[in-house]
Parts: sequence; structure tokens; C-alpha cells
Amino acid sequence: MPEAMVKLAGIRKRFGALEVLKGVNLEVAKGEVVCILGPSGSGKSTLLRCVNLLEPPEEGEIFLEGQDICKGPDSGTGEQSWELDFVRQRVGMVFQQFNLFPHKTVLENVTLAPRQVLGKSREECESKAKALLERVGLDDKFNQYPERLSGGQQQRVAIARALAMEPHVMLFDEVTSALDPELVKEVLDVLRELAAEGMTMLIVTHEMGFAREVGDQVVFMDGGVIVEQGNPADVLDNPREERTRKFLGRVLER
Amino acid sequence: MSEFFNQYFDFTIMGDHFSEVLEGFLKNLLLFAVVLVLALSWGLILALLRQLPGRKFIPLRGLTIAYIDVFRAMPLLIIILLISGGIPYLEFIPKEIRIPNWFGLPDPFWYGVLALTLVYGAYIAEVYRAGIEAVPAGQVEAARSLGMSHGQAMRHIVVPQAITKIPAPMLNELNSLLKDTTLVSVVALGESLLIGREVLAETFNSSAVMLAGLMFLVITLPLARIVDYLIKRNQGKITRGSHIEVA
Repeated sequence: MPEAMVKLAGIRKRFGALEVLKGVNLEVAKGEVVCILGPSGSGKSTLLRCVNLLEPPEEGEIFLEGQDICKGPDSGTGEQSWELDFVRQRVGMVFQQFNLFPHKTVLENVTLAPRQVLGKSREECESKAKALLERVGLDDKFNQYPERLSGGQQQRVAIARALAMEPHVMLFDEVTSALDPELVKEVLDVLRELAAEGMTMLIVTHEMGFAREVGDQVVFMDGGVIVEQGNPADVLDNPREERTRKFLGRVLER
Repeated sequence: MSEFFNQYFDFTIMGDHFSEVLEGFLKNLLLFAVVLVLALSWGLILALLRQLPGRKFIPLRGLTIAYIDVFRAMPLLIIILLISGGIPYLEFIPKEIRIPNWFGLPDPFWYGVLALTLVYGAYIAEVYRAGIEAVPAGQVEAARSLGMSHGQAMRHIVVPQAITKIPAPMLNELNSLLKDTTLVSVVALGESLLIGREVLAETFNSSAVMLAGLMFLVITLPLARIVDYLIKRNQGKITRGSHIEVA
């Protein structure tokens, strides 16, 4: 068995008195697409945010390409002890609310981090950014400001922005939930392409059809634990657990 | 009635002393301009120190908060008097620094600069802080998830957005700062109020003091209109809404 790209072991995370993750174990192979489902409050977004240490876990270990990224004398107490540079330059993230930088143009949104963090030249960053924006179908928007774009376009810029750092793993946190229904497909199509190209992805989503089609593995979370996981057909069509069945029943009724 | 009018608006006295008072007022403006640059910078530094993340900066954050609280809580007049009445006698400080005469400006001017910068830096830090806290948390998360350091996120993402959110409260502070430059008259800086009071002492007539006040009005009244305009414009922005602002 090859080394896992991402491996979570016994992840626990609490916000005050509320324990959001109660011991999560998960392995993601290189090139694998894992779709994470579950009711709101089940901890799925927090789990993603643990992987790139936006929310460092209190307990447990995260291995990224075999390296333990949460060790350190002050585990869980501060950013200093975390392997932040190692993580954030390998893990890209796309958010539900896009979080584009409103005071920067589309092109500047995509070039800012490579220029500042990797110290690459403007020319190199811009030609790369333009190629990425073309790839997500936005070659005519380079000099627009984000507020002039539709939600779907903004989200595609956000994906290009994350890809500009050449991540090895991409995290998608409900990236279509804030979009009007007719804009969902254009974003999912970009995700499909990335999956086809072999990008390792963790995708929190409510799009069951998409999870079935693109996911190599589907994970169902509830109450801060993984209730069930397996290949999409098994989990979505023949769930073993009562909680999964109930959730799918509610979701598919819509 | 005319006695009342003449006490405050004796145009002969105003005319006789106009150039002196104006010269004093230009000192107020100069003091304002120097403190403006220093306090805007010092305030930003304080605001950024206050935002430093993580456990190891707890002491520095605590000191910064204490500084901001104390200098906003202490009357400005007392600070001016403590500085001008103390620093000249601290003999371990080189004379050129404790009794400064830089750029041909007398030492009370520089004591005023120091006192106003210390105090207004604290007020302005709070204005910056309001702006920084008004930037949605997702902005920092996006920057950090792209590998930017805290400092890079502050410099490229947070501060540029924060300052667009605070022009009205900032102008209010600067309005107060301009008026408070008159307090430096107590340490014998020959600015407009001191000159007005000298005329008052000679003539028992307040018109020169009034003249100084009117000179301030010329600057501060339009400022009030600008603040109102900025507040209205900002409200318009919020009600129009944008995809980004919706959290």
C-alpha cells in the first residue's frame, strides 16, 4: 500500500465546551477524491479546516505526504509549533463564500500569493494565472474586480487562485452552497476536470449526484465522527448505518 | 447688546491682530500636520501589535492594550504638562533631545508633538482596530490558506480593506486633533489661542480669541460635512450590498 497523501489519526477538536470532532480517522490516497457528506454541525467543515491547520486539532495526528504536521511541544496551543509553511504550500482550499480579495482584480487575486509567498516574478505569475483562468473559463475577466462577477465566476477565480500555489491536495468546503442553482454546474465541471487530472481532493458537499459520480470514496459524518465510509455506490445506495439512511432519506426527498 | 457684540466681535481689534493670530493659527496647522503623520503611523503600529496572533505575543498584546487604555483615559492637558514639565529636567537625555529646537521650532512645539502623538496614536489605534475587525474573517483565512504569513495577510489583505471602512471615524479623530492643538498654548507655544489670550490680557476684549476660533471653523466645519457625506455614502454601499459582504 503506497503512503497516504493525507492521513488523519484520532483527530479531536473542541470549541469551548463543544466537542466538534470526536476522534476522526481517515486516509486519502494520492489522486483520490473523497466526498464528505453529513448534516450541518456534523463537523465536516471543521475536519477540512483541520487538514490545513486553519483550525488546529487539540488531539490526534495529521500526516501530509508522510510528514506529521501537528507535532510540536505546544501542540494545539499556538501556530508557532505547526508546520504551517509546509502545509499551506501543499494544501489549497476553496471556501463556501469564495473569499476573494475585493480590492484586487481577478488577476491580482491569483498572482498575489505566488508572488508574495513563493517570491516568483510578476511575469511568471501572470502568465501562469492567465493560463489557470483560461482553464476555468475566465479568460475575459483578468482586470475585473470580484464584485462585478457572478457567484459561479467568483468561485472559479477562487479555484484558480488556490491552484496557482501548485497544491498537492485541494480542500473544497461546500463550494456550491452559496451559488444560485444555475451556476452550480459550471463550478462542479471545474472540479470534475481536476479529478480527471488526478488531483487529490477532499470535498465537503451536499451534491449527492456529484459525490456519486466523482467520488472515489464517500464519507458520511455525524456528531463529530465518521459514521460510514466506502465507495459511493455502497454508501449512497446501500447504507449500512441507520443514521446514514435517515440523512440520505431527508436529503433525497427534496 | 452692542457691548456684548463688541466684546466678541470688535472688528478693529480683529483687524489689528489678524496677522499675528493667523501666524499663530499656521503654527496650529503645522503642529496638526506633523502629529497627523506621526499619530497615523503610531496608531497603525499599535493596532497591528494588538492583532498579533498566538500565545507568545500575549505580553506584547497586553502592553499594547494597557497603553491604549491609559492614554485614552488620561486628560490630554495633563499629559502635555507632564511632558513639558518633566522631560527638560531628565538630564540623562542629551540636551538636543530633551530641549529640542529642530527645524527652528521651539521646544514647546515638540513637547506638543510628543504629547499629541502619544494620545492620538491611542485613539487612532482604536479606529484602525474597528476597521480591521470589520474585515470578514474569511479574508484572513483565504490569505492564510494560500500560505501568506500573518504579516503578509495584514499588509496586503486586511489593512488595505480596513482603511476603506473607517474614513468617517478617522476624520472625526483628526477634527478633534486639530482643535486640541490649542491645548499646547498652556506650555507657551505661540499658537493662535495663546496670541488671542495675550490680546485679551492687554485689551480686556475677546475678539482676538474669537478670531482664532473662527479660523478653526473655516477648517472644521467643512470637515463635518465631509464626514456626513462619507457616512451616507458608506450606508449606501451597505444597503446596495455585494456578494462579498454577505457572510
